[in-house]
Amino acid sequence: MALDIVTGNHAAGYALSRAGEANRRALGAACGIYPITPQTEIIEYVSKFPFTKGAVVPVESEHSAMGVAIGASLAGARAFTASSSNGLAYMAENIMVAGYYRCPIVMVAVNRTLGPPWNIWADQGDTLMMRDLAWLQFYCETNQEVLDTTLMAFRIAEDPRVMLPAMVIMDAFIMSHTQCETDLPDQTLVDAFLPTCDVPHRTKVEHPTTIGGLVWPLETVSQRLEVDEAMARVPEVYEEHRQRFYDLFGRDPGAAVQPYEVTGAEAVLVATESIATTAREVVKRRRARGEKVGLLKLKMFRPFPDEQLNELLAGVPKIGVLDRNYGASVGGIFGMELRAALQGRGAGALVQDYLTGIGGGDVTEAMVEEVLDDLLARTRGGRPVWKGVKS
Amino acid sequence: MIEIRIHGRGGQGGVTLAKVIATTRFLQGDSVQAFGLYAAERAGAPIQAFCRFSAEPITRRTPITEPDHIILLDPTLASLGVTQGLKAGGWVLVNSPDTPEALAKQFPGYRVAAVDATEIARTHELGTRALPIVNTALAGAVGRMLDMPLEWVEAGLTHLGFIGPNLGAARDAYAATRLGAQPVAAPALDAPAPKLDRIPGLVTGNTGATPKVRTGNWATQRPVRHGQTPPCNDVCPAGNDVQGFLHALADKDVNRALEILLETSPLPGVCGRVCQGPCMEACNRISYDEGVNVRGLERFASDHGHIELRPPPAREEQVAVVGSGPGGLSAAYHLARLGYAVTLHEAEGQLGGLLRTGIPEYRLPDAALDRDLTRILMLGVKVQVNDRVDRARLTELTKSSDAVLVATGLQHLRPMDLGEVPPWSVVQGIDFLAQAHEGQAVVEGLRVAVVGGGNTAFDAARTAVRLGAASVDVVYRRTRAEMPAIPEEIEEALEEGVKLSCLELPVAFVPGRLTCRSMKLGANDASGRPRPVEVLGSEHDIMCDLVILALGQSPELSLFPEGARVSVSAERQPVAAPMSAPIYAVGDVATQAGTVSAAIGSGRRAAYALHERFTGERLAAAVHDPDGVIHPDRMHMHLFEHAARHGDRVQPIEARTYTEEVHMGLEDASEAARCLSCGVCNQCGRCVTYCPEGVLVLKEGQVAFDYDYCKGCGVCAAECPRGGIVMERL
Repeated sequence: MALDIVTGNHAAGYALSRAGEANRRALGAACGIYPITPQTEIIEYVSKFPFTKGAVVPVESEHSAMGVAIGASLAGARAFTASSSNGLAYMAENIMVAGYYRCPIVMVAVNRTLGPPWNIWADQGDTLMMRDLAWLQFYCETNQEVLDTTLMAFRIAEDPRVMLPAMVIMDAFIMSHTQCETDLPDQTLVDAFLPTCDVPHRTKVEHPTTIGGLVWPLETVSQRLEVDEAMARVPEVYEEHRQRFYDLFGRDPGAAVQPYEVTGAEAVLVATESIATTAREVVKRRRARGEKVGLLKLKMFRPFPDEQLNELLAGVPKIGVLDRNYGASVGGIFGMELRAALQGRGAGALVQDYLTGIGGGDVTEAMVEEVLDDLLARTRGGRPVWKGVKS
Repeated sequence: MIEIRIHGRGGQGGVTLAKVIATTRFLQGDSVQAFGLYAAERAGAPIQAFCRFSAEPITRRTPITEPDHIILLDPTLASLGVTQGLKAGGWVLVNSPDTPEALAKQFPGYRVAAVDATEIARTHELGTRALPIVNTALAGAVGRMLDMPLEWVEAGLTHLGFIGPNLGAARDAYAATRLGAQPVAAPALDAPAPKLDRIPGLVTGNTGATPKVRTGNWATQRPVRHGQTPPCNDVCPAGNDVQGFLHALADKDVNRALEILLETSPLPGVCGRVCQGPCMEACNRISYDEGVNVRGLERFASDHGHIELRPPPAREEQVAVVGSGPGGLSAAYHLARLGYAVTLHEAEGQLGGLLRTGIPEYRLPDAALDRDLTRILMLGVKVQVNDRVDRARLTELTKSSDAVLVATGLQHLRPMDLGEVPPWSVVQGIDFLAQAHEGQAVVEGLRVAVVGGGNTAFDAARTAVRLGAASVDVVYRRTRAEMPAIPEEIEEALEEGVKLSCLELPVAFVPGRLTCRSMKLGANDASGRPRPVEVLGSEHDIMCDLVILALGQSPELSLFPEGARVSVSAERQPVAAPMSAPIYAVGDVATQAGTVSAAIGSGRRAAYALHERFTGERLAAAVHDPDGVIHPDRMHMHLFEHAARHGDRVQPIEARTYTEEVHMGLEDASEAARCLSCGVCNQCGRCVTYCPEGVLVLKEGQVAFDYDYCKGCGVCAAECPRGGIVMERL
């Protein structure tokens, strides 16, 4: 264990490489790589890593990068890659393939605005476009959380109860290129945390099989249902490995949903990634002034933790969601999903959506203050509120 | 928490500086952040980087808008409102050789620290000399400014692997940083908003259009036109715009080419045949393959171009010009173009002076000379032939004119003492050529020795060959290399059978035998040529019936008023105390330069000087770029194609006669395309083609730069074949 100051990209590259190296005891590591700002440093890190067993394959596109990961995973390797923004869009077909081929691939995705307009800064629209493709999604707040969650993602994805790919997500630049103190665990600790990767349906020379052939509707239903059941097991599996991680590393990798001062709150903000830090500071200040406000940080978005959210938000009359994304016409996607999850379960809380930091704009404490003021003054929800609009 | 904002340019290492500061504090137990502000940066673009450190965990996730301190990696950024949001009492650390006190004016209300990190980085060879990487030096300066022990900074740098020269630079900067005083006045809170392209907005209105980002402020240097004088223009004694007329010819505009020549010289037909061609010797193309055949092209322009010269509105001043050689003709022409009433006074029956009688027909036919003369006379110049001007006549002229210009050339022919000889056996070259022009010269069957090495000697020798001499020897006391004659003339003379007898000094002559003494070359004399030294006891004879002397000429000054001072300055200043009208001396009589082109230049300068005297208006006699003459080293020669020189067509030896012009000129003007237009924009458009930003346009025959968007990459300067663009540091 060594504390150093590194970027989010460095933290991600570190975790992917050590996790891959940990599988030297089995079938090794493999990844297909293709650069795109702002994640390029991740694949640069990975491509420089001296894997004992495995291959880093430079390819001509993101679509092929995921293709390499799928092939490697189905051959039994610990497979991973990284991408961002329009690269993810181009990769989309194979992202779906990885999900329903049940490949436990881990991909670090750096949230960058989907163009056009051409824009390299943080916006969650790219990974949220992939929300229904049978991948786990973890939105991280700090460089440390990126590193820890990447290791956790392998553990959960490869858990035989899950056997699904996982995406570890961070903000462009605010995290990917910001250097902060981060604990970089030794290989031996990573080895201890991650058992060898065992993909039960991997191809074997002695038992040739076809994967992904044409099937009837009935088999398709079964396949979807199996994914649904696997997704449903994730919260429990997550908690199990979170404890194991804590025991080994002495650090909490963070719960799937992280409440802060939610108990008894009249108004709760829901936030993800770096916005959660800013919102927590505002909440802390307001609480100090005696205001009953709280924050709920959503880390795990797939599977959607609706049980936990219903439990934690039960009785909270006003909920404001800070969305750094825009789903055309509906507004924020986190807000939309939260509203749907709470629908009909409780007393009918007010859920108001705030579009903050779209296209990478700064989400300042002042902006969050405005959001809280608006939320507290509300008697009913309404159309999403746009923040940071050019006057 | 301390927040530091760093302003620099892409390539200076600003983001790394943020990391070094963060690491320095991290190793002391602080919580830290270091990050850049990312966009489409390139080397030279303004960038920002940020650093936070705090004993408490840092919870701020935004760029730093209200910094405690700022650092300027490049002092030129000071104008961009970099102090925006800087807290009162904050430091402004500037990479600059200036003192904090001098810099403080730009940052009113703030404490200023200064260090010449650029020089320190150069000393330690960090980066390149053009773009030194200043961050590790500035890390030392930050340590000093924020009162951190040097050991902390060293530990931070070492942790990041910055050792060796980087540590040295940090140590030097730590010691060299100068800290300014706390200012009395508080900072103005309404500091202007930064003009930096900080996360440029990508959407305008509802249109989705991408707004323009003015990228000109990314530049650390910018291209500027750097017109320089081509060497041909520089050396032309007539002051011709050689590059200009060649460019017009290359553009297939022969009339324009002639028009350009006629701006400076009335005798392009003459110069296109007999000029020594110093431009061709100075041609930059010689260093690449072969020089341009400028003389042949001047002849082409003169023979094929058509220009109607119209006399300008008449002025009342009357000017008398004495002598109608090139100096007199040039003065008369330029005065007439300025509207003066000019009368040419010529001693002989025809105009032209030595041009007509001193240069043989086969080199300069009367028809060619007359074509140039016709243009001059079209301007209304009056002519009095058979008017030999002596001192009395000159006095008369000063009474009937407002000014008199004497352009009588070099009338005095240098003699040679060869003992008692029959008068028919020794003749001056100039006289011989005049006789030949009149059909009076008789050399058939004679053995001829021509003494001298200039053009007159070779004209006489070749004329003698054409008129049937039995043999012709050119006797010269130096070697061929020192001969002032045009090299082609010598070559062609040898083809025609002329023999060279070099290092010979005639000392005695009796018809049949020219006794010569052998010479050897000694040290250089005042003219820069080796001085010939006699070899004692080396007398020997050359068989010879007729000696032609071509030993040079000197001015005949007897017609000037007594006490007149005739020197080079006489073309601008009257030669004597005021008489009724001022008298000037023009051309060879004043300058003794001895070439047609020099006489033309002298005539023009005299005309302009007189014009200034009459009107006070000063006309530029020669246009020279203040940036001087361009040397081939300053050009990008490799961008030109090699191309063989087009020489003049020459008559075959058997067809050469006295009257038939031996050179037939160029078939076409394609030779003009070989001119490189050294140092002069000829609108080739290469810079426009290669500009990666599309910020260059050709406007009114010149390249124009749009500095609002030029990032100063320097491609245009590198691609200008003729060295016409240079990069200027900002």
